[in-house]
Amino acid sequence: MRRLGLLAGASMLAFCSMAQAGTVRVTIAEYSKGTGPYFDAAAKEFEASHPGTKIQIEVVPWDNLQQKLTTDISAGANADLSIIGTRWLLDYVSQNVVTPLDAYVKPDFKARFIDTFLKPSIMNGKVYGLPIAASARAMYYNKDVFKKAGIDTPPKTWTEFKADADKIKSSGSPVFPFGLQGKEIETDVYFYYGLWANGGDIIKDGKSGMDSPAAIETAKLYKSFIDGGLTEPGVTSYSREDVQNLFKQGKVATVITAPFLLNQIKAEVPNLAYGVAPIPVGDGGDGGTYGVTDSIVMFDNSKVKDEAWAFLDFLFTTEQRTKFDKVEGFLPVNAKEAADPYFADNADLKVFTSLLPKAHFAPVIPGWEDIAQTTSNAVQKIYLGQGPIEGTLKEAAAKINTTLSQK
Amino acid sequence: MGRSATPYILIFPSFLLAAAVILWPLKEIVSLSVHDVNRFGIMRDFVGLDHFRTLFADPDFIAALWRTLLWTVSVVVGTLVCSVPIAMILNEDFYGRGLARILIMLPWAVSLTMTAVVWRWALNGESGMLNSGLRDLGLIGTNIQWLADASTAFPMQILIGILVSIPFTVTIFLGGLSSVPEDLYDAAAIEGAGAWDRFRTITLPLLRPFINIAFVLNTIYVFNSFPIIWTMTQGGPANSTDILVTYLYKLGFRLGRLGDAAAVSLIMFGILIVFTIVYVRLAMREEQD
Repeated sequence: MRRLGLLAGASMLAFCSMAQAGTVRVTIAEYSKGTGPYFDAAAKEFEASHPGTKIQIEVVPWDNLQQKLTTDISAGANADLSIIGTRWLLDYVSQNVVTPLDAYVKPDFKARFIDTFLKPSIMNGKVYGLPIAASARAMYYNKDVFKKAGIDTPPKTWTEFKADADKIKSSGSPVFPFGLQGKEIETDVYFYYGLWANGGDIIKDGKSGMDSPAAIETAKLYKSFIDGGLTEPGVTSYSREDVQNLFKQGKVATVITAPFLLNQIKAEVPNLAYGVAPIPVGDGGDGGTYGVTDSIVMFDNSKVKDEAWAFLDFLFTTEQRTKFDKVEGFLPVNAKEAADPYFADNADLKVFTSLLPKAHFAPVIPGWEDIAQTTSNAVQKIYLGQGPIEGTLKEAAAKINTTLSQK
Repeated sequence: MGRSATPYILIFPSFLLAAAVILWPLKEIVSLSVHDVNRFGIMRDFVGLDHFRTLFADPDFIAALWRTLLWTVSVVVGTLVCSVPIAMILNEDFYGRGLARILIMLPWAVSLTMTAVVWRWALNGESGMLNSGLRDLGLIGTNIQWLADASTAFPMQILIGILVSIPFTVTIFLGGLSSVPEDLYDAAAIEGAGAWDRFRTITLPLLRPFINIAFVLNTIYVFNSFPIIWTMTQGGPANSTDILVTYLYKLGFRLGRLGDAAAVSLIMFGILIVFTIVYVRLAMREEQD
């Protein structure tokens, strides 16, 4: 009986907190240990200046975010605001789950952003999300290993890179020259660096670029790295975190990844002599980095849209953005923030920002996750030497074209 | 009359509860599997058996289906074969038996996911414990990349699957062994039966019902077991270590194909139901003979 009373009490409480109009629920993806504390502090600061509004932060690990949102939304129990991968946004928009923010986004608000990063969240001319996190990719290299092999500057082209890798190997160094990722999230992206350098593209004229000469060229190039013992052995067992760890341990000489590795190196291996360089380009000068943004969106069924917007407005002030990006090691999305000495005077970060004009973003198409998965699978088969390169790529391209034609 | 109705009245509420808990989700899954469903579970047109057709045309699904059978049979048979001798040893009276029993049971208390995470580290190609151990023993010259390829990753996963299923199975067998009367063995020994004969003619037949239970429960459990494979390889590389449940998760939550995912789970449900009914019938008939 007592338990029953308790239950009734609890459900009454739940009912009351739902009924209170001023509560804004926010689902946050956990980027690092610093994510939760940052948002809790931001929520407190916001509540202090906005009496009557309560911000309820829910932190979810990245891996579970999509799953949580899917179940929450299908049950109608989703939060008011949530971080999502911008590459998922199209699905959300086409299902009318998220609401356009144009009624709130005034010109002076829009002017806060660096255009490159706001653009991916704009669909059919409407702003559906705000870039809460942004990053790009560049090549980290181990200066000591390069010096010992008699190389002074990081490679600019893939041809140079291959020659440097051979030099490192023949110098008798136990360090593997190229840290190649072959497992889990972003396995496909690691392949695109070569693809773009060879003048290829993920999707060209509505068709997959995986069977293009550029893709075949890239697959042969990467395979020659693997077969020549220039990568760590067993690349298909190394996820993004695994190759980053190999780099931190000094077991691979290069790795292509995001700016957040800078923070990790500073904290874990401060004595590592590393440099940051642009991703090698092709002999024709093609190439570029992979730009990624995550968006924060407002759900269409939110009952506290004005309060939620006020919180968004607060999160995207220069001061808040600077705090967050410093914690996480992301790139500034706010133009004024980019002028902050922390970002402007940081030589490593400058390499990343200098690459932005040539940044490629994941294409905004339905079924993108499906396509990325197909690409990863094909790439893994090639890395493992299961099946001929051209046949495997052709098969993948055909499968992607089917996915593209379905919607 | 009133008396014979009492049990039914008493059982009715729990029956209702069971129906709500078991039948309602089943009904939902069935209707998901025959409708066009969007990423967020909102059902649109009725599509009949389209999702099932898509699945059976997908080589990855067929491969995962066969792999699931291989996975289940290997882990379950492996577990039973290992658990019988372990249970028999733990049933002997020896100094430190209590401690030994606790040691065997302990892994049971560790979450499967954590076990898999630890093994993922241990099997790491460059810094893994297993490779450095083997190298120190002089057994291998170069590192083996355990998780890079299904040919080494999947057998390792099966091995770990067996390892984590042993505590539960041994517990069942210990219960069974404790009910075998000691004087049967004494009588057999007097008749001149050797250890192997005693095992074959007394232990095994008396343990039979317990083996049956362990077999059915382990099969259901292993067939649906997600953490080991997901944590170690996420079914990769290139879907080559996927079993049905990891494949289902990818379909549902990564690719947003909830209709296809519902169809997979129905197929899994069907396989398990058929297997369980057939096996239980066979086992019961044998017991009656």
